[in-house]
Formats: sequence, structure tokens, C-alpha cells
Amino acid sequence: MLNTLLPILLFAALGLAVLGALRRANMWRRGRASKVDLLGGLLAMPKRYMVDLHHVVARDKYIANTHVATALGFVLSALLAILVHGFGLQNRILGYALLLASTLMFVGAIFMYLRRRNPPARLSKGPWMRLPKSLLAFSVSFFLVTLPVAGILPADFGGWLLAALLSVGVLWGVSEMFFGMTWGGPMKHAFAGALHLAWHRRAERFGGGRSTGLKPLDLSDKSAPLGVEKPKDFTWNQLLGFDACVQCGKCEAACPAFAAGQPLNPKKLIQDMVVGLAGGTDAKFAGSPYPGKPVGEHGGNPHQPIVNGLVDAETLWSCTTCRACVEECPMMIEHVDAIVDMRRHLTLERGATPNKGAEVLENLIATDNPGGFAPGGRLNWAADLNLPLLSEKASCDVLFWVGDGAFDMRNQRTLRAFVKVLKAARVDFAVLGLEERDSGDVARRLGDEATFQLLATRNIQTLEKYCFKRIVTCDPHSFHVLKNEYGAFNGNYQVQHHSTFMAELIDAGALNLGQHKGSSVTYHDPCYLGRYNGEYEAPRQVLRALGIEVKEMQRSGFRSRCCGGGGGAPITDIPGKQRIPDMRMDDIRETGAELVAVGCPQCTAMLEGVVEPRPLIKDIAELVADALLEDAAPTKAPLKREPAEVH
Amino acid sequence: MTTNVISLVSIGAHPTSGRARRAEQDARAVELGLQMAGDKLQVLHAGNINEPTLRSYLGMGLPHLHVLEQPSGADALPVLGDYLREAGAQVVLTGSQAETGEGSGMLPFLLAEHLGWPLIVGLAQVESIDGGVAHVLQALPRGQRRRLKVRLPFLATVDNAAPKPRQSAYGPAQRGELAAHEVEVEEDELFTGASLQPAKPRPKRLKVIKAKSGADRMKAATAKASGGGGQVLKGVSAEEGAQAILKLLIEEGVVR
Amino acid sequence: MSDIIRRDPRAEWIARNRLHPLHAAMQPVQQSWMGPNGVMRKNVHGVGFIGPNGIKRIDRSGAQQGGAAKRTAAVEVQLPLHRIAEPAFYINVVPDMVGGRLSSHDRDLLGLARQLAGHDGAVLAVVFGEHKESAFATAGVDRLLVLDGHAFDGYSPEQRVQGLRAVDNQFNPRHWLLPDSRSGGGELGRRFAASLKERPATRVWQVKDDQCIGRAGAGQQDVARPLPRVILAAVECAEPVSDTRHEVLPVELSTTLARSLPRIEDLGAVAVDPAAIPMAEAEFIFSGGNGVKDWALFHQTAAALGATEGASRVAVDDGFMARDRQVGASGTWVTARVYVAVGISGAIQHLQGIGACDKVVAINLDPGCDMIKRADLSVIGESAAILQALIAAVEAHRHGAKRDAA
Repeated sequence: MLNTLLPILLFAALGLAVLGALRRANMWRRGRASKVDLLGGLLAMPKRYMVDLHHVVARDKYIANTHVATALGFVLSALLAILVHGFGLQNRILGYALLLASTLMFVGAIFMYLRRRNPPARLSKGPWMRLPKSLLAFSVSFFLVTLPVAGILPADFGGWLLAALLSVGVLWGVSEMFFGMTWGGPMKHAFAGALHLAWHRRAERFGGGRSTGLKPLDLSDKSAPLGVEKPKDFTWNQLLGFDACVQCGKCEAACPAFAAGQPLNPKKLIQDMVVGLAGGTDAKFAGSPYPGKPVGEHGGNPHQPIVNGLVDAETLWSCTTCRACVEECPMMIEHVDAIVDMRRHLTLERGATPNKGAEVLENLIATDNPGGFAPGGRLNWAADLNLPLLSEKASCDVLFWVGDGAFDMRNQRTLRAFVKVLKAARVDFAVLGLEERDSGDVARRLGDEATFQLLATRNIQTLEKYCFKRIVTCDPHSFHVLKNEYGAFNGNYQVQHHSTFMAELIDAGALNLGQHKGSSVTYHDPCYLGRYNGEYEAPRQVLRALGIEVKEMQRSGFRSRCCGGGGGAPITDIPGKQRIPDMRMDDIRETGAELVAVGCPQCTAMLEGVVEPRPLIKDIAELVADALLEDAAPTKAPLKREPAEVH
Repeated sequence: MTTNVISLVSIGAHPTSGRARRAEQDARAVELGLQMAGDKLQVLHAGNINEPTLRSYLGMGLPHLHVLEQPSGADALPVLGDYLREAGAQVVLTGSQAETGEGSGMLPFLLAEHLGWPLIVGLAQVESIDGGVAHVLQALPRGQRRRLKVRLPFLATVDNAAPKPRQSAYGPAQRGELAAHEVEVEEDELFTGASLQPAKPRPKRLKVIKAKSGADRMKAATAKASGGGGQVLKGVSAEEGAQAILKLLIEEGVVR
Repeated sequence: MSDIIRRDPRAEWIARNRLHPLHAAMQPVQQSWMGPNGVMRKNVHGVGFIGPNGIKRIDRSGAQQGGAAKRTAAVEVQLPLHRIAEPAFYINVVPDMVGGRLSSHDRDLLGLARQLAGHDGAVLAVVFGEHKESAFATAGVDRLLVLDGHAFDGYSPEQRVQGLRAVDNQFNPRHWLLPDSRSGGGELGRRFAASLKERPATRVWQVKDDQCIGRAGAGQQDVARPLPRVILAAVECAEPVSDTRHEVLPVELSTTLARSLPRIEDLGAVAVDPAAIPMAEAEFIFSGGNGVKDWALFHQTAAALGATEGASRVAVDDGFMARDRQVGASGTWVTARVYVAVGISGAIQHLQGIGACDKVVAINLDPGCDMIKRADLSVIGESAAILQALIAAVEAHRHGAKRDAA
């Protein structure tokens, strides 16, 4: 009886799965076109899956091993089951192989089940609680069904009762695993995830690469939407990416806005986008809601505006674009891209940048800096420093990109410290002075692509006039934008953060450094230096050269928690239960350090905004400048003295 | 019945950089107009149609902006007056003072005189328009308000007490249409005798001491400078402290 | 203070009573005495007094001797009277008269008028309605014209323009001067100029040799032009009159004013909720910071005082106050006349934001904080107790005022 039933079940489920896949693919195709190497992506997919994705998953060994066992077991069992039970190839070797595969899957599923017995808050419940049981049902049923094939048991063992039981088990298994995979069950992640990896919008991320710059809008194309208003305004592979989400909640656990009680949960956001692409409401969402916003009140479809239907605007404006979610996501989903796409619509089409946003953007247009300061005062901080201007020198080794911190009294101390270091190392440097403009970082994160492109193209025009080897800046935001986002407008430069540059100077022995005196020190990784650009080591190297042993925070390196200052978050200022910099300061206090070294004007400002008493905040440049030994000559270039003539 | 509202706009200048922008008060006039008339609001500018900054008014969600084409230095008064009368405007809103040029703030007054319409200065809010009569709130210094009754049609200037203008968005700004109207050009006679020059910083007024004798001068030089170091009440009871504060508040006239 | 030297029996009694706590203070300071060897001794340290900057000053004129100069000889100097019997021309000034008195802006304007009038011209001040000013003479008013009548009550710009036109017809002044202020002068001057079909010079801050310079545009430029007939002058356009006295001869309008139906009707002032006043404009701000623990009490106090509420950044960040209430460099720059800071230690950004405030009152636990250094009056103590006492005191004050009125 099973012999006739099994193929029917299998092929029915497979047939439905194919139908579902076509239906799903049609949903994705509602999105806008995107340039993707379809075939090349598919060919690269297995490697991306087994190497790049595995690297992310392997940060949690338990789940990595469990997933390898379950997924490998399932793929093998499914293929073999189709051969053995679907096409009736009752081969003994195949039978044994299938037994082995289903055992492997069973072991994985058991561990999966154990994990789900007391799941952490970040994991979604609902159908996801059923999945380990379905996996068990699938693996056990196929194991038992295959025993006769392998010749271990007689064919009619157990009689009709067992057969009926097994067929129920197989039915459960295949409907979850095949049918559910394409019709929106938890296994959708395998199907959509595989295709998402193949046709990812940032293929450069695979193979150890890094791609963090936002993609430009083509403003000259009048027909293209300015940002994303409706789900169908996403590109099709973005929609596909949303579908790949496994709801593991790693993003939720990493998100600073979620922890601060602001109405953002990256996982829920991605799931809302899935609701948007398929149509419906978020009532079935089984994870943590946006803080302060109950589940079930929002809904939408591909042709309806997202904001105020599917998600509230303040959810989008809560994001600090710290990229912690993207860094953690095992499916390599691009949350920040999606959020900025939707912000673009709000800013460019609706003019709805909240709070001080509108004012800041207006200032950027009218004064080239977000504070609305007179552009002529850009070099006032260095009035007594006699800085060489690139417009006078025309060429130099190092272009010191000052950034908008030039207008901020606190950051001026950092800038002056760095100038002191540059002078001590006798670097051939110059500044743009009044020719410099805001890099466009804030405008772009606030969704004002037009103002960003205005600033970027003007900056590029200025830079084109001069000859320099590299740009060095104290501001990781300018650093990121200059390095990764000006390329799209034909501005390609070698850009370094000042910590990297100082590390090089120290390596080359160009600085005569003493030791840092006194207090114990921890280091806060700026998001735009660390996660965006992978520079974790240089600042630590500089600190080590000062004789500092960094007391690392629990969340440091690529897991560093945002200070709350990125993405225009202090400007849009969405209220939460607590403040992000306060949480970060608690992380810092936990280490017992009396001083926290930072490398970003935003981080400095946010952390110094925490009510005292708190550890001191100093920029790396300040620490280096403090430790400079001025009298002795640097070891590299000993002063040549003419021997005094003796008469 | 909807009211026919026209907002007059000009090209502004940013206070620190001096770069062209939408004028702050004119943008408030547009905002107030949008709140009163919605889509029906007409926005009017007299000047150069090729000025890119005009688009920042369109970015507030206006489908059109009417431009009476004039070279700079031409007198806007007669052409604006003719247009407003022909368009059948009932309420005309404008900023108090231009951010470029002379910026004397005379235009609304001259326009009102020219048209023979009443003029409300510092309009903060239109409460109701009923049967050709409007009840409006006029802004006074220190956030105070006065209610006025005025017959339509009238002109009103808005200052910084009017509602904050909405953000100018890029998309609508690019799509909006600048409708040109050709008008006769009349030379403005003011600039024959006047010259614009960069603003000189005004000298701070010094405390001039007119002393008749050396002793008086001495006294003036050693007199306590005001504001240097306040009174600190320490170790007093809460009641005494409160009394001291209240005394100051009453002296200053803020508690009555 | 009277110049008659009077005996102070109480002081004499204290000087005699060696047990009185103030006894020492009432002893005459001995400056010189005969030493034991018959040599005159001088107390050099007793000479002079401590000036405001803590530096010792010696004033040898004898006018000021430490605290001893209790009776200052406040001689009222009689300034010379400037008389113009037959004015060759008039310079007309329409002062704002805020609260019925000349404001400092008005005085500057009269100074400018005086300058323009020279020896032959007369300064004619046109005042609407009743006034309480008694110092027109020292402010430089030669002739005073009071336009009285109900037509000028309240907000009556059109009626006032009619009045000014009548004055213009009768006196035909060489110049009209009005303050370019928000308290009426700016508006009235422009209306009047428009009705005269004159192009006034506005925001004038300097008049020199028949040329005047006024701010133009958004303050980035100046416009220089020949002096027109109507001048709207900015604050500090000239030095106020200080060394002459003037006649203040009353003059009258020879014609009666035609009354026209006003097109703008004044329905009176509107009660404004202090909480709704924009922070930047509010006159009286009651601001709370990190030191405030009982926010309900804070709101109650602000309501009792009738003040606009403000907050420090920390209070806003912690969610106790809305973001639009934040005072400081990154919030709102306020211009309040009185600013009460409760539990605000005074971060530099906050102090920047209250730079334009006239009187600052601080209530704080920490006597060393920066806000106290800025404040004109500081009370050190627990804010909750002081706020409660303040509410009680205000209520008592209001009750008292009511009883007085009854």
C-alpha cells in the first residue's frame, strides 16, 4: 500500500511545491528590475552558501553544527527519497544511504528541538515551534519507510496500522518540507534563501569582500520612483531577500534602537516587508513586536504605500544605520538598504523628515554644513595653526579632510590634536579649507539623495583640481562616504581613517611616543569604521603603541554597539525607553575603564552627552598627541647638525 | 465656499551664507495659505523665472507657481496689484520683509494702499471666514495674540509667529510647474539714489560717562557693574528661598 | 535722600552699647592717633575702600570714605534749558510709548531727532492717548502734541494714520521719525509712509550728513541713501539727549479729525496659554533639568506661576519633557526676560541658549555649579521643598492682591 501511496504523496507535494515556487517568483517579479548575473549567481550559490553564509552562522557553533546536520540530512534524504520512493528505485545501497541521511537529519532535528524547548526572546514562535517536530516526523517516517528497502525489515512489517501511521508521518513531513517551502511555511527560508544568495544585490559581499556603500538613485531618470513608497518599488531581488529571512532574531538582539525601546525591530521590519509583498496583515507574526506597537494593527499589499499602512514612519527613523543587523544576519539580508530606500521616499517625495531633519537638510543646501554655520568659518578652529591650504600648494601627500566637526568646539580639540600629530611626524599635508563641504553622509542617511549627490559632485569637482596621494580624516562617516560612496560619481580616492594613518606612522617610526599615563582604557568601535569598513585593528594597534592594554567591552569589534549617533538618529530623535548612548556607557562602565578611546566625532558627542559621573572620553588622536615627546627628534629622521667649526 | 487665497513669494537669502533659498517668512505665508485653501492656493512671484530657488516653494507640494516675469530692479508693485485684482484674490498673504534687496517691508503696505484693501500685520492664524468677514489672530511680541475682525478682501503679512513651513521635498519641486506671465516692466526709482553695500557691524554702544569732576568719574569707574555675580541664598529655609524668588518675579513683573 | 544731617539715635545707642552685636561696626574708624611716644600714627590700611573688583581704591576727594559716606550729596543738576521760540522747521517723532512711557528706543529716536533739528528746528513728539511720561523735557521734546480721543484706543492703525496726516498737513515737518519696532512703530510708520506715498528709510542705524544707512535684506547688507522724509530708525540709532532740557510746549491740532469707519476692528487681546507660547518668544520660562525628581510638582509650579515650561537636554532625553521644550544650543535659543532654572547644572550648551535672558534664577542643590555662577539669584536647596513653598507663596500673594483690591 505504501508503495503506491508514497510516490503519489511525494509527487503531489513536489508538484504543489513547483506551483508555489512559480507563484512566489511572480510576487518577487512585481519588484523593479535589477541588474543581476542570473546564471553566474546560480553557479556561485553553493559556494556562497557553504562558505560565506556558514562563516556567519558559525559564530554560534551549536546552531552551525545543528544546521549542517539537518540541512545536509534533509537535502540528501529528499533527493534519495524521490529516487527510492518516488521513482521506485528500490536499491539497497540507495536505501542505506537514505537511512544514513535521515539519521543525520534526525540527529540535527533533535538538537533543533532541544534548542526550541526554552527559546530566547529573539526567536519567533508560532509555526517555527512546529518546525523541529516536522523535521523529526520527516526524518523518522522516511527512516522507517526505508528500512524495508534496505532489507533490514520485511516489506510488510507492522501491517496496515504502521503503514497508516507512516503515511501520516510522511504526509506531515513532505507538506512541511516541500509544500510549505514555497507556500510560505518556515522552510521558505531554504528556497528563497538559496535564490537570494544567488541573486544578492551586493554580490561583492561574498568571497570575503565588503560592500557597504548605499546604492545611488538615478535622479536623471524621471520615470524611476524616488525611493520606495510601495513594496513593488523595491527591486525584485530585494523582495526575494526579505523572503529569505529565517526569523532567527540575531538582528533584533543586536539592534541598538530595539534595545533602547524605540519602535524598531529589524526582524519585524523584514517580516512586514514579506507581508507587504504577499499582502495581508502582520497578525500572524510570532516574534517580538516593535517596542510600544502591538502586533495585528498593520497590514498592506504590494500596491499600497508602506508607511502608515504596514509600518509607521517612526520605525524607519529609529534606525541608526549602524549595520549591526546586517552584520549578524545569517541570510545576509540588507536591512539598512531597505530602510534608507523607504526614507528616501519620505524625504524626497513627501518632505516628511521628522524633527530637526528638515532644518538640517535646508542648512546643508544653504551652508554646506548641517549646523547652518557661516561657511566662511570652516577654518576658524585652525586660525592659529597656520595650516597649509591645498589651493595654495596644489599637491601634497596627505589631504586632511576636516569634516563638519570643524564647527564643533569639542571636536576642534580632536582636530587640533591630530594636526599636532601630523606636524610632529612631518607629514606633507594640506587641507581644503573653505573649499570643503559636508561629505553628504547625513543627507544621504536621512534619505535626501538629491542633496547628497549635490554635495558629493561638488566635493568631487573640488578634489579633481588637486593632486594628492591619499585622504585622511578623523570622521569615520566622511571616511566611509569618501571611500565607498563617491566611487559611483567617479570619485575614487585612497582614503584612510586617522587611526589607520597613525598606526602606519607609528609602524614607520615617524612618531616619538611616550607612554599613556594613568587611567585604564577601553575602546569603542565606531560603526562606520568597524562594521562598514572592517577597521578594527589599527586603533587598537595605536593604543598598544601608547602602552595601553585595552579593556575590551563585551560588545566590541564587529559586535560593537552603536553610540546612537549615526544615520541622522540624533536629528530625527525618535523617543524610546532609554537612550542608546546611556546603554553604551553602561557597557563601558562594565569594563571598569576610566577612559574610553573613540575615533569618531559623533561617538564623542553622544558619549559625552551622558550625564556625569562617567568615564572620560578621548579621541585616539588626543591620546597620541598627549603622548608625543616633543623635544627628542623622531628616530626615523635624525636631525643633521653641521659640526660647529672650531677655531 | 472656499476663499481665494494668494501667497506672494520672493527669493530669500540664508542668514549666514547669504545663499539663495526660499524666504523664511514667505514660506510661512505659503504654509498658511496651504492650510487655508489647500490645493486651491495660488502662489505668485514677480521676478526671474529661471531662478532655481523658486522650485523650493514648489517642493512644498504646489502644482504651479505663477511668475510675473521681470528683470531685477523693476518695480513689482503695479504688476502685482493688477494681477491680484484680476485674479479676484480675497486673501493675499506675504512675508513681512524680503531677505534680499532693500527689504524695507514696504511692499505689502504699498500694495494695500494701491489696491485700497485693509492690511493685517503679523497674521498668526485665520480663525474663521464667514460672509465676507474674517476673524484673525494677530501676533504681538512675546507670543501674545490679538483678535481682529477684517473685511475681505484683505492683505496680510506673516512673520515668525505664523505656522512653521513644511519641508520642501525634491520630487514635487522637480515636477511642479512654473507658469510664466508676461507683464510690463517699470523701473524702480529707489535705486537711483541708494546703494547697497555689505553690512557693517554696528558699533556697540559704550557707556558714556559724562562727569563733571574727577570724583564723579572715579565714582562711575568704581561703581558696581550690573550682572557680575548674583545673590546666592545658601542654608535658608525653603520658604525664605521661595519668598526671595517670588520677590524677584514680582519685581520683574512676570508674576502678577 | 535729604541733605539735612540728622541724628540717628539708634546708631548712637548701638555705638554706646558694647554688648550690642553691631557695636563694633558703629565705632568711628580711627584713621590717626597719638602714639605712646607722642608721634602721630596713621592706619594706612584703613584708608580707602574695596572696589567692586576686589581692588582697593583710595579716593582723595573725600567724597567717598569706605562705608562712612552714608549720606550722598545727590545734587540734582539742573540741565540748561534749550529754548526754541520760533521753530524754523519741525522734526516730528512718534514714540512707541510702550506702557505709556518712553522706551529706550524712543529716547534714541528723540536723540536722533534732536540731532536733525539743530539750533533752529523743534522736535515735535506726537503721542496717542493718555501717557504716564514725566521726562519728556530731558528726553529732548520741544513741542508735545497729544492726540486724544476714543478713536485712538486699542489697535487703531488706520485712525492713527489719519491723525498723523492731519499733523503732517498742519506742521509740514521736515522729517518724520518713527521707531522701527515690533511694538507698533514699525507698522504705523510703514502705513503712514504708504499713505503719504513716501519711500521711507527703514531700519536706519546711522544718519550722517544728509545720508542715512539702514540694514537691508536679511541683515547681510546695508542700504545707504539720501535722507528721506520718513525715517524708521532702529534701536541705538543715535545717543539719547542727555545734557539739555527742553520746553515740552503743548501744541494742538487746529482741525478736528475726520472719523472714518475702521476696516480693521480690534476685538481685544486673546488669553494665551503660557504653555503654548513658542519658547523662543516666551517672556518667562520655568525650566527643569536633571535635578527635578517630582515632575508633577514641576508642572504644577509652572502653572501656578503662569510660566512657559522649558527643559534641559537631559530632562528631554529622559522623556520627562517634549523635545520642543529643550533650551540650549541644540534646542531653542530663548530670549526670556526671566528664566528660572530648576535642577539644571548649566552645561555650556544650555548657558549658550539662555545668553539673551535678562534675569536668571537658579534653584539647585550644588552651590558650585555653573548655572549658579550665571544666575542673578540662586537658592541652594532641595527643589521639591522650594517649589512647594513657591506655590504656597504665589497663592498667598494672589490672595493678598485680591483682598487688597476688594
